[in-house]
Amino acid sequence: MSDEHPAGGEEEFREEEASLVRITLGPVVWMAHFIVSYAATAVVCAKLSTDELVWLRMGIAAATLLALGTIAWLGRRSWRQWRHGNEDIWEDPAATSEDRHQFLGHAALLLAVISFIGVIYTALPALFAATCR
Amino acid sequence: MQRRAGTTTLAAPVRRVAPLALILLAACDGPQSALSPGGEDAIQLGWLFWVMLAGSVVLWLFINGLFFLVTRRHPHPMSRKLAEGTIVAGGIGLPLVVLTSLLAYGLSIMPHQREPGDGLRLRVTGEEWWWRVEYWPEGATEPVVSANEVRLPVGQRSDLELHAADVIHSFWLPGIAGKTDMIPGRVNHISMEPVEAGTFRGQCAEFCGLSHALMAFQAVTMEPADFDGWLAAEAEGISENARQAEGHAIFQEQGCGACHALRGTEARGEVGPDLTHVGGRGTLAAGVLPMTAEALADWIAHPEAFKPGVEMPGYNHMDEAELLTLATWLEGLK
Repeated sequence: MSDEHPAGGEEEFREEEASLVRITLGPVVWMAHFIVSYAATAVVCAKLSTDELVWLRMGIAAATLLALGTIAWLGRRSWRQWRHGNEDIWEDPAATSEDRHQFLGHAALLLAVISFIGVIYTALPALFAATCR
Repeated sequence: MQRRAGTTTLAAPVRRVAPLALILLAACDGPQSALSPGGEDAIQLGWLFWVMLAGSVVLWLFINGLFFLVTRRHPHPMSRKLAEGTIVAGGIGLPLVVLTSLLAYGLSIMPHQREPGDGLRLRVTGEEWWWRVEYWPEGATEPVVSANEVRLPVGQRSDLELHAADVIHSFWLPGIAGKTDMIPGRVNHISMEPVEAGTFRGQCAEFCGLSHALMAFQAVTMEPADFDGWLAAEAEGISENARQAEGHAIFQEQGCGACHALRGTEARGEVGPDLTHVGGRGTLAAGVLPMTAEALADWIAHPEAFKPGVEMPGYNHMDEAELLTLATWLEGLK
């Protein structure tokens, strides 16, 4: 296994740049879902009547499904990036471009898992508390 | 009581620890305990506590059992697969399931704590260091003003509107319901539904200055008919007899009415607690002293001695007899 990327330095750089962005994507989706849910609830409860709560909860449900879908897709992609080509190797300790690439996939997967759980926990109050009180 | 034969077989440590445990358990009872609930919400919160406690005990036994197993019973190397499986299942899977179900349970009972009331509304204002209490029965245009005691009808849900006059306080009545902060410039709500008639103790639960710990109150839960009778009496001013008494003359002479209101007289001060029915309350000075003539006399002469930082000045220039006449008269205002 050599340290040389098959397509050369510049392409490798572009690819890993995309990997780095993907790492942050799970938490970013979690954050967006959190802000949208809490801001919408605050506005509806403070400015509108409780009759609008049905719509708010349906909106949060839709946002949750969208967020979970995106994170699941991301997790699947990261899993592939991590597991690609190494059936029994679970660690990527070497300072090679392949190990770096797979490590970034591994990190993105773990962040996707925690973001998935975070989104569910954010949505749970809307599921159980059908009131502004 | 005769000792049962079985107790002599208890191991020595158990025999030594048991009395201590009993003493500690006895502290769980009493008028200010979330573990001896007298209200719907307190019952629910009590359940939450017991569920958490039982869960923690099970978890503690499980984890320590595992420790025991791998260090004493089966101290052999584990296969990598089993070890990693244990970490994923026990470190991610189990907490996820436990925390999610606890969160769902907690969230499902949360709205109940602020359910709208059945009609009676109380407006409680935290002051340094006492409680201004106003009762607004359904349809009332003006409140029945009282202080330092909260009375609630049994079997009905009452709405409490919580205000603060100066700094942040927290209204905590664990025997009946939970705890809610009182924040200057904000109106917070809590609702309470007592299930049995009795006397409970509440306490300010947010540090609010020098005498924070001395800012308590008594809560009395009453059958609805008794409550209605009490509220009607509380709405009245002082009686004609009380107005003619010598105590009233001293009250006026000393200028008490500048800070304290006595409905039915010219005393309309709003700095301190309304004293129209002060003798009918269970405690004096927000849960600090018993409601007796002696305690009232002590309080009037040296309030600072019982509540450091209190705004009320001491009236220690009054002579003993006058002081006692005033105190006895106040104690008689039921």
